[in-house]
Amino acid sequence: MTIGDAILATFVVVLGAAGTYMLLPHQHGSAPPRRVHGAGAITASLGLLAFLLLWSPPGPVVATVFFYIFSLAATIGAFLTVTSRNPVYSALWFASVVLATSGLFLLAGAPFLAAGTVIVYAGAIIVTFLFVIMLAQMEGKALYDRASRAPGRATFASFLLLWSLIYAISALRTHASDGAPKAIQTIPLTRTRDIPRAFTLQPMSERLAILAGAFRPTSWIYDSRGNEKLNVAGLGEALYTDHLVTVGLTGILLFVALVGAVAIANPKKTERAGP
Amino acid sequence: MAPTDEFTLDILTNYLMVGAALFALGMLGFLARRNLIVMFLSVEMMLQGVALSLVGFGRYHGSWTGQIFTIVILTVAACEASVALALIVILYNQRSSLDVTLWQDIREAVVPASSPIAEETLDAEPVQATLGPESYPHLFPAGIEPPHPTQPWIERRN
Repeated sequence: MTIGDAILATFVVVLGAAGTYMLLPHQHGSAPPRRVHGAGAITASLGLLAFLLLWSPPGPVVATVFFYIFSLAATIGAFLTVTSRNPVYSALWFASVVLATSGLFLLAGAPFLAAGTVIVYAGAIIVTFLFVIMLAQMEGKALYDRASRAPGRATFASFLLLWSLIYAISALRTHASDGAPKAIQTIPLTRTRDIPRAFTLQPMSERLAILAGAFRPTSWIYDSRGNEKLNVAGLGEALYTDHLVTVGLTGILLFVALVGAVAIANPKKTERAGP
Repeated sequence: MAPTDEFTLDILTNYLMVGAALFALGMLGFLARRNLIVMFLSVEMMLQGVALSLVGFGRYHGSWTGQIFTIVILTVAACEASVALALIVILYNQRSSLDVTLWQDIREAVVPASSPIAEETLDAEPVQATLGPESYPHLFPAGIEPPHPTQPWIERRN
């Protein structure tokens, strides 16, 4: 991580934290709320612009444009989900976060997951809407929608977490530019997908044997010729060979959650007096 | 054997940063907001951030495992949603409110109350009243008045 990156990350976090603190529902002294919200929105958007400078543009133009659109939509939607007074608006902004995340999944070559996320979360958001309509006091006039719990400390904690995450991620970038260790400079072993190549080119060593044992052809996105496998076919193959136990455990988890939800939500039968 | 890869480390760090932002904002919402439904949405947003990081890692390493982890996360999110909404229903039935600070009395006995109710009422933002037609701008008549029937338009309908 360079010094410039560190300063930029600090800018992002300080501006974002100040803006979010002003936008959170809370009484800010005697200042009129509208003015505080305006100032908070401007500060938070400045922080977001600085955050945008931290990303490095991916190669092709179309991918770059879509990446920036989806990432900005996700981040802005996340801000507004957290700071909206009205839970209906929170749910709507959360829907935009989900759609933007599915777009990013598509860009990362995961179309099945993009579709699955949209389908699963569409149901979740509709149910949330029903709950808001059923339970919440409308128009954000409830006391608990106009006040936050310890907004200063919460903002400090979460933006400190964000700063340290950005720090760690940028350090990753610097390490990679240093290059792989000198011994395997010719065959860089930074990714799992490099293992088969190293396996065929290098004399068998103990380390390589362990790595090759941990690595199975079904869990690779590319087939033996180096072409990308079909998404759903490859994903299903990996899911039902390498991760078969996971599928079973997930089924058990769903069943337990179903039983738990029914047991929690059903009204208890009142004890009747004997005849 | 070695296909050209357009998903470089720079793109991976982009994905990780967006995921980190979603995670931190979700944590902020969970810590700061008092509405149970908004807290639930914030937790779902943290899961989205983690899923984004996992898909980026999986694509970078050329392995399906990231996407499979994300499928598991989707399942866990569905389970969590069902249990959380069931809990919200019974909590609402007990106190007739979605306010999470009303449940401070189930904390550990040695922990002090984080904020008394009376103090929080002072902290709340004032309600912004929605202004009615009396706040609309007043327009002054200008120019020459055109010839028009003196009958009001409501009477002209019949």
